[in-house]
Amino acid sequence: MEFFKNPKINFVGGMKSAFIVSVILVGLSVVSLVIHGGPRMSIDFTGGSVLQVKVDPVPEVADIRSTLEGKGYAGVQVTEFGSADEFLITFADPESTTETLDAAQLLLNDLREGLSGSQIELRREESVGPKIGSELRTAAINSVVAALALIVLYITVRFVFRYGIAAILALVHDVTLTLGVFSLLNFEISLSIIAAFLTIIGYSLNDTIVVFDRIRENMKLRRKESYRQVINRSINECLSRTMLTSLTTFFVAATLYVLGGPVIHDFAFALCFGVLIGTYSSMFIASPVLVWWYERRIADKKRAAMEM
Amino acid sequence: MNRSLQIRAGLTLVILLLSLYGLLPTFKALSISPAEREAARDNPERMAEIAEIDAQAIRRGLDLKGGMYLVLEVDQTGMNASESEDALLRVKEILYNRIDKFGVSEPEITTFGSSRIVVKLPGLQDPERAKNLLGQTAKLEFRMVRPATEIEAALLKMDEAFKSDAVATADEPEADEAIDEPEAASAEVPAEEDALAEAGDDSATAENPFGELDDLTDLQPTNDEYLKDHPFTGLLAIQQGLMQSTPLFVLEQNVDRVQQMLDDPRTPRKLRDVEFQLDMEGMNVGQGQTLRPLYLVSTRTVLTGDQLTDAIANSDPDRPGSWEVDFTLSSRGARQFAKVTGENVGRFLAISLDGRISSAPVIQGKIPSGQGSISGTFTHAEASDLALLLRAGALPADVFIAEERTVGPSLGSDSIRMGVSAALYGSVMVILFMLFYYRASGIVTVLALVSNIIILMAVLAQFDLVLTLPGIAGIILTVGMAVDANVLINERIREELRKDKTIRASVQSGYQNATRTIVDANVTTLIAGGILLWFGTGPIKGFAVTLSIGILTSMFTALVMTRVIMEMMTRRQGKQKMSI
Repeated sequence: MEFFKNPKINFVGGMKSAFIVSVILVGLSVVSLVIHGGPRMSIDFTGGSVLQVKVDPVPEVADIRSTLEGKGYAGVQVTEFGSADEFLITFADPESTTETLDAAQLLLNDLREGLSGSQIELRREESVGPKIGSELRTAAINSVVAALALIVLYITVRFVFRYGIAAILALVHDVTLTLGVFSLLNFEISLSIIAAFLTIIGYSLNDTIVVFDRIRENMKLRRKESYRQVINRSINECLSRTMLTSLTTFFVAATLYVLGGPVIHDFAFALCFGVLIGTYSSMFIASPVLVWWYERRIADKKRAAMEM
Repeated sequence: MNRSLQIRAGLTLVILLLSLYGLLPTFKALSISPAEREAARDNPERMAEIAEIDAQAIRRGLDLKGGMYLVLEVDQTGMNASESEDALLRVKEILYNRIDKFGVSEPEITTFGSSRIVVKLPGLQDPERAKNLLGQTAKLEFRMVRPATEIEAALLKMDEAFKSDAVATADEPEADEAIDEPEAASAEVPAEEDALAEAGDDSATAENPFGELDDLTDLQPTNDEYLKDHPFTGLLAIQQGLMQSTPLFVLEQNVDRVQQMLDDPRTPRKLRDVEFQLDMEGMNVGQGQTLRPLYLVSTRTVLTGDQLTDAIANSDPDRPGSWEVDFTLSSRGARQFAKVTGENVGRFLAISLDGRISSAPVIQGKIPSGQGSISGTFTHAEASDLALLLRAGALPADVFIAEERTVGPSLGSDSIRMGVSAALYGSVMVILFMLFYYRASGIVTVLALVSNIIILMAVLAQFDLVLTLPGIAGIILTVGMAVDANVLINERIREELRKDKTIRASVQSGYQNATRTIVDANVTTLIAGGILLWFGTGPIKGFAVTLSIGILTSMFTALVMTRVIMEMMTRRQGKQKMSI
């Protein structure tokens, strides 16, 4: 079986429209991020506590919220989590390291007191002090930056510098769009989402490099063809593999999303989105950037020659 | 078969068999049902057997088996480098002793950086109790209570020290609350005039808080004014006769503010060789009012918890239903204790735990036995924990819980179930797809996928790495990525076949061309994985581990293992057709 028999899609020709689409999407992401005042950070980075509780008999979300507000917990977020009888209670208390962590326990006790008719089981608790939170934030940013830098370095060594830049542009595109989607849907950026980001970076790059590798090969084999033609041919030759791999990876990420349980729901969502966007960017961003760069350089050279 | 192929085939086979063998304990551990484990509890031999198997099986992370992950920050203010290091190691040792006695199986305690300790407690039932046990300094101290005649001067000094803050604090809402309350308290326990006179004899000036006690308790309107001049005393209720050891009390709602002032660096500078300490718990005086005793004690300790040799929880003979902790001192401590008690008959001895006084009994005579007790309204559990803490010793520095992640056992098993089913369905889907797309060559791909998971799991088991929920996600993702390598190879072979090359030549050059691509593409993902490993704490690390190992094993299965199979399948020269 084959999806594509000798495909001849004009990817480079569609580059302009793809650029426009990407610019709009990136713009939307940035706007959403600006409106929301940056990405919504989870307690991993801001400090605070998350409690996952199972309550029997099941109360309304509003009941839990009003019970807690009645006990003096202002700004507590309560959401249903996974199933109807489980709730996620999030609150940030940036006051002090120790008090935050005691606060989670106090809150649970107050909730048990307030909903005295219900059985409350603590399924999960996560508390992060503000100091560790800010350290984790720095570490997360450092790790993404370090990953990008090392990757440029690797591609520069294995290919040439401009391939590295093209790949990074595609990656920045992917990460920005994923951040944008998270911001639009009002999802939180947590430690595990950072892990998903780095995976998306690795994955998207995997795709890009397969195409680059083919470009490098075809440049040697087909010296008579124009740069545009070589790149277009290379993307087409890799198309079957790109679609197949993307599809299977998307399958598994989607299974994780559907079956993996609420704890890794957002993580799996980020992966699903990242696989799609990574596939798109390696075909429509990374390789066309090479064409653009190359043709600009040629134009510059011509202009320089004419001025002489 | 040529030599190289033989070697590679042998190598592949050995690795696969070794992996299967390495996974045997994991399979065994999985095959023991929970009921069987329950039944084995009465049979120590069987228990040991199961423990042995579990030890060799893949270790599950706290998020899968339930448990608590704590990061404790050791307060090293005022210590130099070597003291800090020493404090960190000693804290770790003492925490280990505490946990050991608490009865958690396989606790893990490691230092992290220069000031942190990471504690992992699997399968924990009562996280709150564990936190109390780990977070408490448990510093036991004995000090003499200063005579009542010194109280006034100390109060004056405190007021002086905080006078500049008074305007600000009086504006706080708590201040209003504080002003509202004393009336009720004083109505219940009226102040005793003569006791005040005794304390305040010498200097009944306008500045004298004792002279103004009536104002404090009765005069609502001037309270703001009073609090301004007496920021500390204004928060107190002075009641003679309620307790013998101290006339000072703090209303429960003011306790935090008073403690704040006591913790202020100005306080020790001003008071020098005496200090105020709050009681551990308040006294209920009726009408919903609770008063917290406040003591004036020497800064000098007459004895500390170091001198304890034993501590044990006992029911309190004076208060039925309540528990106390009886302790035994070392012979040196006992001698010292005997000397101090002998010299101070009739005075009060304050016993404090972490800066809060548990009791301040009067010394009735010399105590030579070196035995004593700490009483309070402890429950049995609280008293046993306190005894445990005292036996394990006080921490040389305060610790704070800086990060906590707790997963209940029920969520852990839910996560396993969901993670495993996601992995299973994901793999089955990919396998079916590969078979459908590549036919006979798809079987080779599927073999590679399955072997990949087996080798990956064996590596986890063999190197004692921990499998977490994000780790399972990493395995699932690895399946997706392992497919990629095989797809690259198969697509290449198809291309070569289209060029009308022979099957053998197509396979050879297909692998040759694909290898470079696969290595380049995987190294970048490996870079991302490596960075995750380096930066990752808790949840991320598990993911990074399986992802990184998965990339390596998938490269092995795709580039070595499937190649061996493909080359063997296409060995015959005359073979005309290939199912790919």
